[in-house]
Amino acid sequence: MHTVEVSHLAKRFGETHAVVDVSFAIEPGEIFGLLGPNGAGKTTTIRMMLDIFKPDTGDVSVFGGELDMPKKRRIGYLPEERGLYKDLKLEPTLVYLATLKGLDEKTVRSRLGGWLERLDLADHRQKKVQELSKGMQQKAQIIATLLHEPDLIVVDEPFAGLDPLNTRIVKDIIEEQRQAGKSVIMSTHQMYQVEALCNRIVLIDEGRTVLYGAVDEIKRNFAGNAVVVEGQGDFDHIPGVLEVRQHDGAWHMALEIGADPQAVFRALAAREDVRIERFELAEPSLDDIFINVVQNGAAKLEENRA
Amino acid sequence: MRDIWLIAKHEYRRVVVRRGFVFGLMAIPLAIVALVAFAILVAKAGENNLPVGYVDRAGVFNVTRPDDDRARAYVDQESALSALEREEIQAFFVFPPDYMQTLQTDLYYLQDPPDEDAWGAFDDFVRANLVAALPDEVQERVLQGPEITVQDIANGRKFSEDEIANVILPFAASFLFFIATMSSSGNMLRVVADEKENRMMEVMVTSVTPGRLIGGKAAGLLAAALTQLFTYIAAIVIGIAIASSRVTELQQLAVPWAYMGVMALFFFPAFALISATMIAVGGAVTNVQQGQQVAGILNLLFMLPLMLLVLLFENPSHPIFVFMTLFPTTAFLSISLRWGLGTIPLWQLGLSWTLLVASTIFMVWATARIFRAGMLRYGQSLNLKAALRAVRGY
Repeated sequence: MHTVEVSHLAKRFGETHAVVDVSFAIEPGEIFGLLGPNGAGKTTTIRMMLDIFKPDTGDVSVFGGELDMPKKRRIGYLPEERGLYKDLKLEPTLVYLATLKGLDEKTVRSRLGGWLERLDLADHRQKKVQELSKGMQQKAQIIATLLHEPDLIVVDEPFAGLDPLNTRIVKDIIEEQRQAGKSVIMSTHQMYQVEALCNRIVLIDEGRTVLYGAVDEIKRNFAGNAVVVEGQGDFDHIPGVLEVRQHDGAWHMALEIGADPQAVFRALAAREDVRIERFELAEPSLDDIFINVVQNGAAKLEENRA
Repeated sequence: MRDIWLIAKHEYRRVVVRRGFVFGLMAIPLAIVALVAFAILVAKAGENNLPVGYVDRAGVFNVTRPDDDRARAYVDQESALSALEREEIQAFFVFPPDYMQTLQTDLYYLQDPPDEDAWGAFDDFVRANLVAALPDEVQERVLQGPEITVQDIANGRKFSEDEIANVILPFAASFLFFIATMSSSGNMLRVVADEKENRMMEVMVTSVTPGRLIGGKAAGLLAAALTQLFTYIAAIVIGIAIASSRVTELQQLAVPWAYMGVMALFFFPAFALISATMIAVGGAVTNVQQGQQVAGILNLLFMLPLMLLVLLFENPSHPIFVFMTLFPTTAFLSISLRWGLGTIPLWQLGLSWTLLVASTIFMVWATARIFRAGMLRYGQSLNLKAALRAVRGY
């Protein structure tokens, strides 16, 4: 059973089509990246998934059915637009939020100590939220998201406002949740974090799913668009090569859309002024893929690749 | 129900521990204590416990009662005068031999005439002696004095001295309602706008339904408002109890149950209407400050009868006040204030309550839609057009 299954979601606000057609499914025990440029429809999709907005069309299934209140209590949500009650003390605020998720106060308090210690907030538990730094507030919000031990965790930009040390701690926490069999949906613009953490991703652009699948598979699919060559000679003016740049002693060649790497290899081998020591398909970074897909349009790329 | 209780408890604590609430809560009781203390001090300062003397040349004062120690007899004018000069009495009357024919007496005092208490006590003493020869029942009736009761034949309501509370209480209750609802509607606005301002909405609505969230908040703030009201009422009751030992009129106060019953029927829907209005405002605005500006204007709709108090005194049944009795936002205060000044036809009460409850139900329903539409518009307000569109469900 999928933890979440979203099928052909669409939502309009007046004349604006926030989401046109988005579909994906999330498995238990995976970290799923929800990616897309600003205004692509990610937050609206999350809000429809969590029953904050009703979709105009399409279906959402969470834990195998419609999202009701008991199921909502199995979700931990860290929204992009987030905050805490600024005039309240940290500990009572976290206790209040966790009790609303169905926990009794005693259980909350027994769990809270460990989280506060781990995120270095134990000494600040009786401070008002407004007295905490932005990073501390961010960590407190992460505790509020996880304190009730949810089975589905939805985190929107979880690393925003965190220093490298705390980013590492939060990354470890997310990884632990995956290992514990929880499903994690992570929306972020930090592609290296997605590469490091996510098993699968969906890329939304202009309200549509434009890329969806396992991270490794997507990278493999996009590998044909660039090659790395080591050797000596003049690597300019090679047919099918769009751009050549030297990096770490190797030549990185971006190929024209539709160019065949084998044809490029044959063209290089035929040249007298070039000596080749290594030729391999380059694995593009998710960052490159994101920019490529969003700039060129996924449909066009798919069409050309086919 | 558990989440409504948790939210209500949370909001109640948030409101009652605020300095402003505690100050507001203590201000009225402290003002009452100060007033009672001031009244007692003034009464004490002006009090003169010396008796009043008399010289009975008419031979009519043969009866003395145990409480007649404030009337002291003297055989002649000289001895009374020397007692007055020695400050044993505060004044004395000389009843001439033809007193029964003329009913004229002479009063002697040094600087000030006898105070009201002494005058009243002496008056009772004279009256008791004058009617001493009459049958006991007649004596009792005469000594008790007249009791005027005004009865409205059309509506059957009575006004008498014994029911003075019927006149005083509605005004006191109206002002208490004004204070309590103003403070709790301000709180209602604050907690909703605060939730939005603090960007807590998304987290909250994935923990509880918007309906329960609003319900919990409303219940918590209703409890805070009732805490305030009961504190005020308790302070007034205690104040009256203490003051009545000095002010005899207060001892005759009777609880006007009919008024209390009618007002209880109107209080809860009126409070819910105000709360729902404030939640709608809180959900639509960007921050607390903007909400307070809008609420300030809307509050006029609820408090209009208090502003027209002078007109109300002149003619409580004027068509304007009949209209305000029927209009949901002004119904509670109009009825409360009119109760003390005249009679309100039963049909007006019935129609007013029906309209109030119907508009409250509509407002709660509309508020849920406005709240839902406005709650995630962080940093943006919901204008009137968008709010109406939300109510229509677009």
